Amino acid sequence: MKKCKLMLGLVLAGLVSLSAQAIEQRDYHKEVIGKDCKACHDQGMKNYPSDQACLQCHDVDDLAEQSARSEEDKWQNPHNNLHYGKELPCIECHGEHEAKKPICSNCHTFKYDKHKE
Amino acid sequence: MSNKDLLGRRNFIKGIGAAAGVAIAAPAMAVSESANGVKWDKEVEVLIIGSGFAGLAAAIEATRKGAKDVHIFEKMSYFGGNSAINGGLFAAPDTPMQKQEGVKDSVATMVADQLAAGRGIADEALLRHVAEHAVEALQMTLDAGSEYHPYLQQLGGHSVARTYQTTVSCGAGITQPLLQECRKIGVHTHNRAKFDGFILDEKGGVVGVKMREGYYFDKPESGELVRIKAKRGVIMATGGFAQNVNMRMAQDPTLTAEVGCTNAPGATGEGMFEMFRLGAVPVHLAHLQSGPWASPDEGGFGYVSNYSIYNFPHSIAIDRLSGKRFMNEIADRKTRADAELNCRDAQGNPLPPILITSYEDSKKHPNTKKVLKYNVGWKFDSIEELAKHFEVPVAPLKQQIAEYNEYVKTQNDPQFGKNMTEAKGKYIKAPFTVVRLWPKVHYCQGGVQINTKAEVKDSLTGQSIPGLYAAGEVCGGIHGVSRLGSCSIPECMVMGMTAARTMMQA
Repeated sequence: MKKCKLMLGLVLAGLVSLSAQAIEQRDYHKEVIGKDCKACHDQGMKNYPSDQACLQCHDVDDLAEQSARSEEDKWQNPHNNLHYGKELPCIECHGEHEAKKPICSNCHTFKYDKHKE
Repeated sequence: MSNKDLLGRRNFIKGIGAAAGVAIAAPAMAVSESANGVKWDKEVEVLIIGSGFAGLAAAIEATRKGAKDVHIFEKMSYFGGNSAINGGLFAAPDTPMQKQEGVKDSVATMVADQLAAGRGIADEALLRHVAEHAVEALQMTLDAGSEYHPYLQQLGGHSVARTYQTTVSCGAGITQPLLQECRKIGVHTHNRAKFDGFILDEKGGVVGVKMREGYYFDKPESGELVRIKAKRGVIMATGGFAQNVNMRMAQDPTLTAEVGCTNAPGATGEGMFEMFRLGAVPVHLAHLQSGPWASPDEGGFGYVSNYSIYNFPHSIAIDRLSGKRFMNEIADRKTRADAELNCRDAQGNPLPPILITSYEDSKKHPNTKKVLKYNVGWKFDSIEELAKHFEVPVAPLKQQIAEYNEYVKTQNDPQFGKNMTEAKGKYIKAPFTVVRLWPKVHYCQGGVQINTKAEVKDSLTGQSIPGLYAAGEVCGGIHGVSRLGSCSIPECMVMGMTAARTMMQA
């Protein structure tokens, strides 16, 4: 029984990897994650990654430091912003397989040159 | 009791749908159900839905009053609701800053101002209850760590300066500290949890809710259904429906998707509508307020809104076709929004009017820098330059400015009767800063009827629905036709606190 499940798992993983090849992925993630979709899709393949998934590799404090702005614009830091602090789930602004606009653009005309839609 | 009939009717409707083979187009439809035979997945003591001012204040107050197990559920992925993106303006009478600035005010004066804007249909008892407790609510924010500008503002429709504003000029200056305070005192906060209907006992009282956990706003069918028992009751702090275009247009067909909206995307109203299904009294739903201080050059509330709220008292609003003023710049919101919507070109297309302020005065507000930096406002050194940029006839504009400056001097505005107190000594002179104005749907005056204990009234029995409390924008009737600026935060917080107090005494 156990073996059976394992086999099934392997077959499924194989199918997933096949379909993953057709899916857009960031170059830098290809190197780290490869074709292991489950590395991010911790809630199942049909679901978005959980709000904690990206934080397995990324540290929110580091990100906040990297995207810090000058004192006068300090609250426009997407990773530590005025409205939601450091709590904004990554997928609000980032999509691995689809283009997304930063949530700030709902109301503001800020430019985030390094943001990849 | 209306609840039982309601459940029966819903089942009946569902039956028709199935028989006719109609696909249910609205999977998000919430339906209340009987607690009879329900298998509870969880039990909590105090259950709060919505994480804006009202929900956060209710959670803190319930804990202060002895609740040990308080839970806030929020359907979005982030906390704070619409409160986290609003202007952070807080009106209260008899405040320490009013004493310091020598402003004479009272509960009665604030209520009188609100009743005037409400045009005869505002709920005086609720307004008085909120005004009486507003300083207490202000204190709750201070205790949690909110910081305010060291000056008061006099907003449109207020007879005196009574408005505090957070130093970040945003409601997040309150929601962030309150959320941290909630975490500190042990309130449980759940995101991606969407309210999906009430669970009722045999007497029609609310004893729990259905909730979809793991809900994604852009995937209406997502989430796993759980049934949560609420020992002391449920506080609905779910806000308004300004983002629900269908509901907006049902009330006012002119508020199409083409009219902007300042609200957070989650302001879609399901919590309110489910209370109506339960039997709550719908009040004043057609009174939707548009913000006359918004800009067509950015989305949502943006930066211009607070910039113009601060600057209106010492600025002139100009119709670009005539080069003349067209309204009292500090009239109440509806008066101004209606006047702006009348500003159109010869073909009848919108021609957003402009707000002209002396840079010397506008620069005192922190947003002025940002408005210029992010290209949603402009600075000019001369009237000619300004007039050319916005294609305003220069001669009438010059004459209008000269006339207005005379009103500043004499402290009397014969043109529109503007109260010139705050404009004293503030002449319109170069260099100027200018923004464009166009209203955006901002606030729903309508909602469910509550009493001064934050209990929700049943339309058929006239009694309060047991176990159900509501606070904040989800409630209706308080403000009447038009809510005055900075009067929502005190309302949300006071009624949130009130709901918690009533529940803890029940």
